[in-house]
Amino acid sequence: MRVDVQGLTVRYGDVTAIDDMSFSLSGNKIYGLLGRNGSGKTSLMSVLAGYRRAIGSVQLDGEPVFENAAAMRKVCLVRHPADAADKSDKVSHVLEYGAAWRDTWDNAYALELSELFKIGLKSKVGELSLGQRSAVGAVIGLASRSPLTMLDESHLGMDTPTRYAFYDALLNDFMAHPRTIIVSTHLIEELSSLLEEVVIIDSGRLVLQEEADVLRSRGTEVVGNAADVDEFTEGLTVLSEKSLGRTKSAMVFGQLDDSGLVRARQLGLELGPIALQDLFVHLTEPVGGKR
Amino acid sequence: MKIFRHLTVALVSYGGIVGASVFLAVLAVEFGISLFGDVVFSGWMLVTVQIARWFVLWVGVYTIHNVLPIAIAHGRTRREFLGAATGFTVVFALAMTLLAWLGFLVEDGLYSLMDWRSTPHGSPLAYFLMFLVWCAVGMLVTAAFDRWGYGGVFTLPVGLALAVVPGITMPGTGDTPFVRNMPHLLGDGWHAVSLGAWVVAMAVTWAIARDLPVRLRTS
Amino acid sequence: MFDDRSPIYRQIADRIKADVLSGALKADEQVMSTNQYAAYYRINPATAAKAFQQLVDEKVLYKKRGIGMFVSTQARDMLRAQGRETFFGEVVDPMVAEARAIGIPLADVIRRIEQHENGSA
Repeated sequence: MRVDVQGLTVRYGDVTAIDDMSFSLSGNKIYGLLGRNGSGKTSLMSVLAGYRRAIGSVQLDGEPVFENAAAMRKVCLVRHPADAADKSDKVSHVLEYGAAWRDTWDNAYALELSELFKIGLKSKVGELSLGQRSAVGAVIGLASRSPLTMLDESHLGMDTPTRYAFYDALLNDFMAHPRTIIVSTHLIEELSSLLEEVVIIDSGRLVLQEEADVLRSRGTEVVGNAADVDEFTEGLTVLSEKSLGRTKSAMVFGQLDDSGLVRARQLGLELGPIALQDLFVHLTEPVGGKR
Repeated sequence: MKIFRHLTVALVSYGGIVGASVFLAVLAVEFGISLFGDVVFSGWMLVTVQIARWFVLWVGVYTIHNVLPIAIAHGRTRREFLGAATGFTVVFALAMTLLAWLGFLVEDGLYSLMDWRSTPHGSPLAYFLMFLVWCAVGMLVTAAFDRWGYGGVFTLPVGLALAVVPGITMPGTGDTPFVRNMPHLLGDGWHAVSLGAWVVAMAVTWAIARDLPVRLRTS
Repeated sequence: MFDDRSPIYRQIADRIKADVLSGALKADEQVMSTNQYAAYYRINPATAAKAFQQLVDEKVLYKKRGIGMFVSTQARDMLRAQGRETFFGEVVDPMVAEARAIGIPLADVIRRIEQHENGSA
C-alpha cells in the first residue's frame, strides 16, 4: 500500500508533535521509523491509522484515511499497549474481535503465533507481563495481514529469544504476504537487517528517508593524525569527532568520491563504515542540547 | 452489522446473566424479610429503577470507552461504530425491559401466592424509554470525557437533565421535574419527551465522538 | 550474523563468492532463493535480491527464469583471476608490513613459504 503524507501537523494544545511533515512510501516494503522518544513516531502512525484527525493530508493508495471506511479496512496499527486488547478482556476474546471485525484476519495464524509466544488464551490481558502484552500486540498486527501494518515498539518487554522469534515471524510472514509494514524501534541494531527503507524523524520533522543499505554506505569513519583528519574533513558534513592523544576520529556523512578516497590514502587515513545505529544517534538531536 | 452483532450478543447476554442473578438475590432477600416481618413493597421495582438504570448507563460508558477504540483499532470508522451503537441502545433497552417485565411477572405471582403487599411499578414502555435514555447518556458523557479529558465535566449537567426526563413519571425513581406540573399536563405524551431526550443524547454523542482520538491506554 | 556497518548486500555477495572460490558452491549448482537467504540470515529479501543482482551483473551467477539462480560455469575461474590480481596488493603487502612492524626478517617469512611449497608445514 502506498502512503502519501503532505503538510501533516499534529498539535496537542501548545505542543507540536508533528510539524508540517511530507513524505511518500511507495509500499510493499518493511520500513523502519526511527526517532528518539517524543520525536513524533507514535503521533505520526496514529494519524496514518485514522486514530486522530490532523492538519494536512494523509492518503493511503490515494484515499484519505480519517473516517474513510474503505481505507480504514486496510490499516492496522499496534501501539503499546495494544488498543485492540482491552485490559479486562481475555486473550481469546481479543482474538475473537480480530476474527469478527477484520476481513483480512487469519485466525489460524493468530493461534499459531499465540502458541509460539506462549500466550495463555484464557488469561486476561491486564494480568499478562509487559512482554506478553507486547506479544499479544504482535499477534494482532501480524494476523491482521493488513495492507498497511504498523508496529510501534512491539518488542517492548520481550526477552531476547522472544524478540528473535518475533523478527523471524515478521520476516517470514512479510515474504509470504508482501505488504507495507512500518516498524518503530529503539533496538536499531537488532532490527536493521530486516529493514528495506528507513525514515528518521526528529522533533516532529523528517530528517531523512533512505534505503537502509544506501544509508549504511553513506557514513564513513575517518581515523588518523588529528591535523590530517581536519584537513580531510574540511567542507564535509561531520557528524561527530573524538580525539585520543594525537589520533582523531571523525564521522563523515555523505558518499566519498574517488578523489576523496585517493586523498585519504595519500594522507594515510583509515576509512571505515559506520553502523546504522551510530548514524541515527548523530543525525538526531544530541542528548542535552540543540544541534 | 458486525459491530452491532458483536455488541448485542456480548452485552445482552451479559445483561441477562447479571439480571437473572440479581433477580434471584432479590427473591432471597424478600424471603429473608418475610421471616422477620411483612413484605410491603416490590424489591424488584426498587432494583429495576434504582440499580438497573445505572447498570444500563455503565454499559453505555463501556461501549464508548472500551469498545469504540477496539473498533477503530480494527479498522472501523467512528461513523460505523456509532450507527451500530445507536441500534444497540434500542435492542439493549428492549432486552433489559423484557428482563424487568419477566421479573415483575414472577414477583407478582409470588406476592399474590404469599399474600405480600407490592407497590405499583412503571409500564414496559416507561422502562424501555428510561433504559434507552440512560444508555445514551452514558455514551454521551463518556464521549465527552474521552475527547476532552476533565473538560467532559461540562456535559454532566446536560447528561443529568436528559437522564431525569424518563424517570419523572416512573414510580420509585424519586426523580422530580423541573417544572412540576408538566408531566401531568402531558400525560402519556411525556413519553414523546423521553424519546426526544434519547434523540438528543445520541445526536450529541455522535457529534462529540466523530472526532474522538484513540488515546494511548495507560498500562 | 551481519555487521550493521557496511551494506549487507555486499557482505552476502562476498560470502557467495567465497563459497564459489572454495568449491562449496560448484558450477551450475543452484543457490538458495532470495527468500531462503532472507529467512536464514534474517535479512530483508530485497537486500538478498540486491546481492544476487550484483552477482548476476558480475556474471558469477545466472538466472533461469522461474527456477532460480545458478553458479555460472566460468565463475570460479573468473573469481580466481580477480583474486590473483589483488592478491599481492591486499594480502602480501600488508603481511610484509606487519612482519616488519613486529620485527620478523623477510628471510624467515620466505623460509616459511618455502616449507609450504615442500609440504612440510
